[in-house]
Amino acid sequence: MPIPKGPGVQRSVSPLQPSSHRLVNVIIDGNAVSVPEGTLVVEAAKALGTSVPVYCYHPKMDPVGLCRICLVEIEKMPKLQIACSTRVSEGMVVHTMSERVAEARRGVLEFLLLNHPLDCPICDKGGECDLQDFTMSYGPGASRLNEPKLHKPKAVDLGPTIVLDEERCILCRRCTRFDAEIAQERNLVVVERGHRSLIGTENGGAYTSYFSGNTTEICPVGALTSKPYRFRSRPWDLGHTDSICNQCPVGCNFRIDTRFGRIMRTFTRENTSVDDGWICDRGRYTFNYLYQPSRLRQPLVRRGGEFVAASFDEAIAASAGPLAAAAQTGRVGVIGGGRLSDEEAFSLQRFARQVLHTNNIDHRAGAQRLASPARYQARLEDLDDASLILIFGALTPEQAPILDLRLRRAVARRHAKLLFVGPYRPWFAVPCNYIEYTPGAIGDLMNQLSDVVHHGREEKGDGFVSEIANELVGAEKIIAIHNGRDADAAGALDRLMDTLHQYDHPVGILVVGSQANSRGAEAAGCIPNLSPAYIPVDDPGMTTHQMLTAAAEGKLDALFIAGANPALTYPDGLLVRRALDSVPFLAVAEQLMTETAAVADVVFAASSFAEKSGHLTNLEGRRQAFKAAVEPPVGVFSDLQIFSALASALGREGVIAADADAAFAQLRAAEDLIRRARGGQTSLPRPQTDDVSDLHSGDAVDATHHTLAIIPVPRLYGGGGAAAYDPGVAPMRPEPFAVIHPDDAVRLGLDSGDRVQLSGRGGSIEVEAKIADQAPPGVALVLADMPQAPVNRLLDASGFGSATAQKLRAEERLRGELGSSSVAVGDGYAAAGAGV
Amino acid sequence: MAAFEPVLTKGIGELDLADIDVYKQHGGFSALEKALKEMTPEAIVGEVSASNLRGRGGAGFPTGKKWSFLPKDGRPRYLVCNCDEAEPGTFKDHMLLRLTPFAIIEGLIISAYAINASHVVMYIRGEFLEGYRIFKRALAAASAAGYLGKDIMGSGFTMELILHRGAGAYICGEETAMLESIEGKRGEPRLKPPFPANAGLYGMPTVVNNVETLCCVPHIINRGAGWFSAIGPPKCPGPKIISVSGNVANPGNYEIPMGISARELLEEYAGGLLPGRRLKAIQPGGGSSAAIFEEDLNVGIDFDSLAAKKTMLGSGGFVVMDDRTCLVRASQTLVRFFEHESCGQCTPCREGGQWVARMVGRLEAGEGSVNDLRVLGVINNTITGTNLCPLGDSIMPFLSSVLRRFPEEFAAHVQQAGCPFQKAPEFSAA
Repeated sequence: MPIPKGPGVQRSVSPLQPSSHRLVNVIIDGNAVSVPEGTLVVEAAKALGTSVPVYCYHPKMDPVGLCRICLVEIEKMPKLQIACSTRVSEGMVVHTMSERVAEARRGVLEFLLLNHPLDCPICDKGGECDLQDFTMSYGPGASRLNEPKLHKPKAVDLGPTIVLDEERCILCRRCTRFDAEIAQERNLVVVERGHRSLIGTENGGAYTSYFSGNTTEICPVGALTSKPYRFRSRPWDLGHTDSICNQCPVGCNFRIDTRFGRIMRTFTRENTSVDDGWICDRGRYTFNYLYQPSRLRQPLVRRGGEFVAASFDEAIAASAGPLAAAAQTGRVGVIGGGRLSDEEAFSLQRFARQVLHTNNIDHRAGAQRLASPARYQARLEDLDDASLILIFGALTPEQAPILDLRLRRAVARRHAKLLFVGPYRPWFAVPCNYIEYTPGAIGDLMNQLSDVVHHGREEKGDGFVSEIANELVGAEKIIAIHNGRDADAAGALDRLMDTLHQYDHPVGILVVGSQANSRGAEAAGCIPNLSPAYIPVDDPGMTTHQMLTAAAEGKLDALFIAGANPALTYPDGLLVRRALDSVPFLAVAEQLMTETAAVADVVFAASSFAEKSGHLTNLEGRRQAFKAAVEPPVGVFSDLQIFSALASALGREGVIAADADAAFAQLRAAEDLIRRARGGQTSLPRPQTDDVSDLHSGDAVDATHHTLAIIPVPRLYGGGGAAAYDPGVAPMRPEPFAVIHPDDAVRLGLDSGDRVQLSGRGGSIEVEAKIADQAPPGVALVLADMPQAPVNRLLDASGFGSATAQKLRAEERLRGELGSSSVAVGDGYAAAGAGV
Repeated sequence: MAAFEPVLTKGIGELDLADIDVYKQHGGFSALEKALKEMTPEAIVGEVSASNLRGRGGAGFPTGKKWSFLPKDGRPRYLVCNCDEAEPGTFKDHMLLRLTPFAIIEGLIISAYAINASHVVMYIRGEFLEGYRIFKRALAAASAAGYLGKDIMGSGFTMELILHRGAGAYICGEETAMLESIEGKRGEPRLKPPFPANAGLYGMPTVVNNVETLCCVPHIINRGAGWFSAIGPPKCPGPKIISVSGNVANPGNYEIPMGISARELLEEYAGGLLPGRRLKAIQPGGGSSAAIFEEDLNVGIDFDSLAAKKTMLGSGGFVVMDDRTCLVRASQTLVRFFEHESCGQCTPCREGGQWVARMVGRLEAGEGSVNDLRVLGVINNTITGTNLCPLGDSIMPFLSSVLRRFPEEFAAHVQQAGCPFQKAPEFSAA
């Protein structure tokens, strides 16, 4: 295994890390302060409450000293010094308000404003613009320029999310440095030179970073504006609500900015421990689906095969009978919780256990089995000083982008090593070692590693096994990341970590789930064998797989699904379709007409994350509160209200709290009780998982014919749910594709860009072929969870599958396109539209 | 003319010093042999420090001191030779490159040995195509003769020399911009500290020396620090090549002992002004330097004497302007150059440069106003001394100095709504 060399020595130290802990005394504008030696003058001034104006300086990035607005006078230094990169020393005397400083600031501001268009009245940044603010505070009253301003391109389309105004740009380079230092992508660059400099992309193409929206926030002027927010509001008209992003399990903190009761934009709300002040574009831009016609705005009840609009009470009444009858016989199941809040997940399992009297409750609507490690729970911050990051399964750039930013920093700037074990070559922004390993064998690998680490290091096993073992033994701190799909591998990983822990290595594990709150749902007891806070139940119920199997075999009378879309996300598409078709009664609580809701008997219109308050538990197990920012539409109720009303209709009034505070109190009470009962036990009991042999369909891959093994892969803007319906995300949505190895492409006669039909056990899908050696020979990596090409038609419950590949000719392709208007989402729309 | 025997330019014009055999016959590589066989690296650094040699690239930083700043922490070290000579009015390094390339190579090897650098980068200005070809041939000859590569002259010292051509940016002559350029990035100066001695090329300790500085080193080795420091003023001694250009009888490169007066240089070396002309202004240190005038001609040509006159020796470009010269037009030419070459990082240099260039251009075109003159008189305060690198500080000195000395000439451009001077032809044969 080749170990990549670390990048060169960093030229400068992070501004947040002074060179020592020794305190030095500094006097700034006559006020004394003690700060760690090596603190930047600008930060020392901040400690005194003195604000030194800055443009290029940003606390998260290396100082570059370009804009020169922060010039200050330091005694014993003849020239003015830049506060953003000068570090304090003992006895330093700084003046930030002297006449020399004021003149320099006026000069810089005059220069910046020379050719600035001064179009503040139509600029999105007006009101929160540093150029406006500093000009008001420190600038000259008038410009001495008496000639026409120079012009540069305006309204430049920089990419799917960003519009650039080169005239407003003051060339502070925060955006290009963000792309290079923080995102490690180096696509956004300065082109041309001198005052002709422009912001552009290195490759001349679009700026497509997953983190592009952050540049609009760090831009000190109105040069970079976000497309969804352009010309929508003025900052002083916005109301602010603290919230938590619910698009992935990282749980970035953000702020929802509203006007006239409608969300205008989202904005970072720095939490150094979680998001470090950044959010990804999926989190930032996925809110406009709330205002689309496809949003469910009232309950629907199926009458004579068609959905008809119903009142909330009618929908409750239509559900109460079938659910009560099924509860009598125990032939009932509940699926969901991973996309709900902690309170709602808790209330959902309470609804199952105390109202329906069943343990058939499971939040797992996809291939994920676990949402937490049994022990060695890591914090996101642990990635910062990790020396080895071991990943299997999880594709962090696509599944947890803000976690990936930390990982990028650890690898690129702190010389951590990144090792990916998995069935395909991953794509990371930073150098990564890759060990090809089939999914089922990763547990064996972990066990072998355990043995090698444990039984003496001189004992050499498999060449690369001992090499990895050496890496593990040599690492100072090891963080493992997985996606919770392979319970056996996770168990083996726990044991490997035990072994390393014995040898005094700090270790930690992060589980990147596919649902935002699977960790919270697991802890709240949406698991058939665990009640809240991981307390095992006496008679475990059915897992999702068992419920679906029972439903398909006619052994289940009613199914209630809340905030989950198994029709698209559950790997065994054949099974889930048979189950949903066979179950006599299906009720679904959803925000959108998903593939699951489309086949339901009753659909409740549920409120979104922005319309309710509650808590989310992120992948660290960190519980964070979010607040309602806007009112839900009339006819839309929160999941809590739905569960509570259903409980009342089933004669259990008061069991389920209808408001979040009361439900949270119930959850906390349950947790406290249990915490006392469990005492010092540190290893969490494991959720019940299905026997692996039950999951495999046994379909063999026959490489001699046109058969390929199918591995679904995630993409940030792929998948179903909100992102599929959001116009803000639509420009970035990928088309369904399959990555196929060049050797297979030759065998199958495929070129990149060809349409190919993949047919498997549950039907066929049509995707675009991409020829690349990221896929191993004999494997097709298929974009997961796309409504127009659901890969779960090809998979069995293990999450993998096989399919025959057939290149489509032009006329077949045309027919396919004409026919594609009737795929699942379209069906749902048509049905819902007719009913509403 | 004083009895001064040229050191650096000895043999140039008479011998083909670009031929390795000729170079060796006239004492070439004897200093290298002495350095490698008789001296320790520390002894060489000591000798160069004792000689008080100061960098010839413009800043005049003591070379021995620069070398001794390198941290002794076991990291690889690099030596970079700055041959990106692009200062307006300076053409000495170009001459050395073309006419005596082995002197540069010898100086480089000795210096690399002194600072224990196994890799040396020779950064040659992109426009120096002929010089590049000559140097490349010289490099091949030196390699064939065993002066480069492994175990040089049996000393155990191994050194590799890498040729790197610039792509035509003046800013790449700034040492940290040069390092960026070598690393394949945009040629833009870095924030200092850290200084190259600590974190230079690829983050490693690096020394950047000018061509002429390196050419001095073999002579210091051969003849001793005492000999060198006895030439000229003790604080900035040694021979210095001055590129004399402009309105003089005999423009060209002249090697002088440091410290002779500007008058001696002008009259004894360069043959004085053309018949019937009066001196108006001289830039003693290239396009970046403030002008000196008739009354300043007794100033010594050395770093300290010129600094006392609020100008600088710089890289030694001595540009003479007689009474036919329009100083507004001369300012315009220079300001336009710096405005064009600004990398664009710092606000005052980027925006101020283009503003000044527009104002001066307007004056020369006869469209200037009194307001322009007022602004030009004070804008120096916010442009000079407020930037990351010296380029921004180069925009204003000449303009400010001539505006102060000849305000009436600038005012005439406004009053007459045009340039009172006869427009010089774009290309002059003489």
